[in-house]
Amino acid sequence: MTDEQNLVKELVGMSTLEQTRAIRELTMSFEEKKNIRWIINGTKALAVVQKWLCQFFRRCSYTMRSARQALELWHGIMKEIGGKFGTSVLTYFLFLKWLLLFNIFSFVVNFSFITVPLLVYGPNITSNVSFRGLELLTGAGYFTHTVMYYGAYSNETLRHGVEYNLQLAYFFTIVVYMVLCGIALTFSMASSFKKNFVLVDPASTSAWQLLCSWDFSLTGEKTVTQRKNNLRESLSEKAQQKLLTLREKLKHSGIHLGSWLVSTALVAGCASSFSLQQEAETLLVPFVVSLMNLVIPLFFSLFNKFEHYSNNRSQIYSQVVRNVLLRMSILGVLCYHWMNEVSQRESFLCWESMVGQALYRLVIVDFLFLMLGSFFGEFLRNVIGTKLHRRLGPPEFDVARNVLDLIYAQTLAWIGLYFSPLLPSIQILKFFILFYLKKVSLTQNCQPPCRTGRAAQMQTIFIFLLFIPFYVGAISIVGYTAWSLNPSQNCGPFRGLDRSFSVVELWMAGLQTLPGSGWAVWIFENIIKSEIFYFLITLIILAITYVFYQLIQGRKMLIDLLKQRIVNEGKDKSFLLDKLQNLQKSRPKKDTKHGRVCYQTFSL
Amino acid sequence: MGTTASQLDKGMLSEYQELTFLTKQEILLAYKRFSELLPKEETNGISYRIPMNAILELPELKTNPFNERICKVFSTSDSHDGSLNFDDFLDLLSAFSDSATLEIKSHYAFRIFDFDDDGTLGRQDLEKLVNCLTGGTGDTSLTPDEMKQLIDNILEESDIDKDGTVNLSEFQHVISRSPDFVSSFKIVL
Repeated sequence: MTDEQNLVKELVGMSTLEQTRAIRELTMSFEEKKNIRWIINGTKALAVVQKWLCQFFRRCSYTMRSARQALELWHGIMKEIGGKFGTSVLTYFLFLKWLLLFNIFSFVVNFSFITVPLLVYGPNITSNVSFRGLELLTGAGYFTHTVMYYGAYSNETLRHGVEYNLQLAYFFTIVVYMVLCGIALTFSMASSFKKNFVLVDPASTSAWQLLCSWDFSLTGEKTVTQRKNNLRESLSEKAQQKLLTLREKLKHSGIHLGSWLVSTALVAGCASSFSLQQEAETLLVPFVVSLMNLVIPLFFSLFNKFEHYSNNRSQIYSQVVRNVLLRMSILGVLCYHWMNEVSQRESFLCWESMVGQALYRLVIVDFLFLMLGSFFGEFLRNVIGTKLHRRLGPPEFDVARNVLDLIYAQTLAWIGLYFSPLLPSIQILKFFILFYLKKVSLTQNCQPPCRTGRAAQMQTIFIFLLFIPFYVGAISIVGYTAWSLNPSQNCGPFRGLDRSFSVVELWMAGLQTLPGSGWAVWIFENIIKSEIFYFLITLIILAITYVFYQLIQGRKMLIDLLKQRIVNEGKDKSFLLDKLQNLQKSRPKKDTKHGRVCYQTFSL
Repeated sequence: MGTTASQLDKGMLSEYQELTFLTKQEILLAYKRFSELLPKEETNGISYRIPMNAILELPELKTNPFNERICKVFSTSDSHDGSLNFDDFLDLLSAFSDSATLEIKSHYAFRIFDFDDDGTLGRQDLEKLVNCLTGGTGDTSLTPDEMKQLIDNILEESDIDKDGTVNLSEFQHVISRSPDFVSSFKIVL
């Protein structure tokens, strides 16, 4: 009873919002919570208006929460997948949904700030080539002179009531979108890192981890039994950990080294085979690229069969690293080709549109190969596994490979943003279809994964990968194009300029004549364009990072000390208990003495 | 209570929203599912206690290895028979919902794993926990040696004050270091 009174006293002191939250977070049954709330409301005398206001705000927040849930996409499907295949497979679908939302945002921004003004007020764009259907695949022909690509955009300033400078709009929409993407990625990466990595003991791959990650949302009978079997296997492995002999260790590291060498060689071979003598118009390049992306990972997983890894996680990570290397080197070579060769060639009227078309083709062919991939990788494998070769069984859904496919697809869209501002629309369609395709393929062909990796940590790794090599790569390519390359002289919003960035310089020069905008010009001249500013910023960030690093080290030491202290106190406790028992045994009759010892124990 | 079996009145709905982590739709869905379990002639739905074996017929709980423990922990029945009324049912869903805090989730997980209800996880509790999760008692279960080794490992790692059992704060310490717990301790209707 006193506990309850204390609790009530504590709760009465809080503000109403905190109170509601605190009551909700009590670990009590509903009846008791209701009781406590009733007591508190009784003790608190609020003005009518205040009470009414509180209630109003609360209602609002509930309505918002409900609305957000109602708007959530594919709630039922997600639940079904989570129930049948567990959280790790669900990660893939959540990631797909997240990327889809990213693209919808990008499409809305690009379409409304760049395309709509041009379509409504701009000069008429008429394509003199008729539509034949094959364009959907190649992106050329009919599409070449449409708003799909850079080339069709105009450099005019629209004057209909307000001035709307299309050049500036094009430049800033893309810059702002890229920056927003970067911020969103950084934040989601940081929060997921904080949740899933910082607190985790790196050394502990222990039994508790396995026990605590039991999926309560699983509903399929078969899945549950299978999970149980897998858990038993890994637990009994844990219980009887055997040490490897030196010979075995040498053998394992030999195999690791060998497969790394072979896979690096494969990657290098693939990348250098693009001497890119082929004309960019053909479908050959995207076809070869997608074929490599489909076939080479199969070799990597073949190597993985021969290698022996101590745990499941390092196996997945090594495979992920190899695949990332492959994709990055292929994209690197392609970008080098576009930046250094296509952009210098005089024969192209509009090289940006050429690059845009090449990217369009890559996106489309990649989509076709993703569909083929799920057909061959999952459907055929299922048929083989269940009909011909019973021992294999139906395939598992390979989360890592599939997520990498998504990341790669998204990178293409990011690079293409500058050259083809409406590429996100294709991407939206692609992801939308892919979601249903993968869902059907998953439920028809696959079995739930035998081993559960750590889903939460995998998700962090995926966001990290999306950010570090791929987003940073894409943004540096777009940045390089805008800051250093000559835009085409006869088409696009930046015609007549020697760099896209000159748009801002011209704008600033124009502003100088206007009164009251001196500060903007000053900021531009002294901050945006000065190297010293960036140098200082970098220094400051480095210093802050160092300070935080030291703080972390200090906290780690503190944690160790505190742990040691708990252990010591536990030892003290057991020591004193032993002593007490001994005393009790030796003097069983003298109760008064016993009481005193007890008292001493507690005062210690 | 004055509510018909087919509807929750507004005041109760807002009370439920205030005291649980569930949104309006979730509460209404829960009510729908709950009333499907009610016997036909029952009209006063909210306070009726549904017996445990009827609750366990829900597909979301049917295959769960801890289903009986879950019912027992959330039941407020005086006879501890695991029967749930609507309030208990919402409590259950609230603790297993997406927006429940780690603190709440780990508290209930601890109570679910504490098979003998003595407030700590002793060796027997841990053994039962492992048996529940590995499916069993048959010939395929872990050997006694493995089980002993496993529980020794568990205690070695988590029993910080070395008293031979895992108490709530030690358990919460373990949970805070396994990030998958929050996303997997989840039941959605």
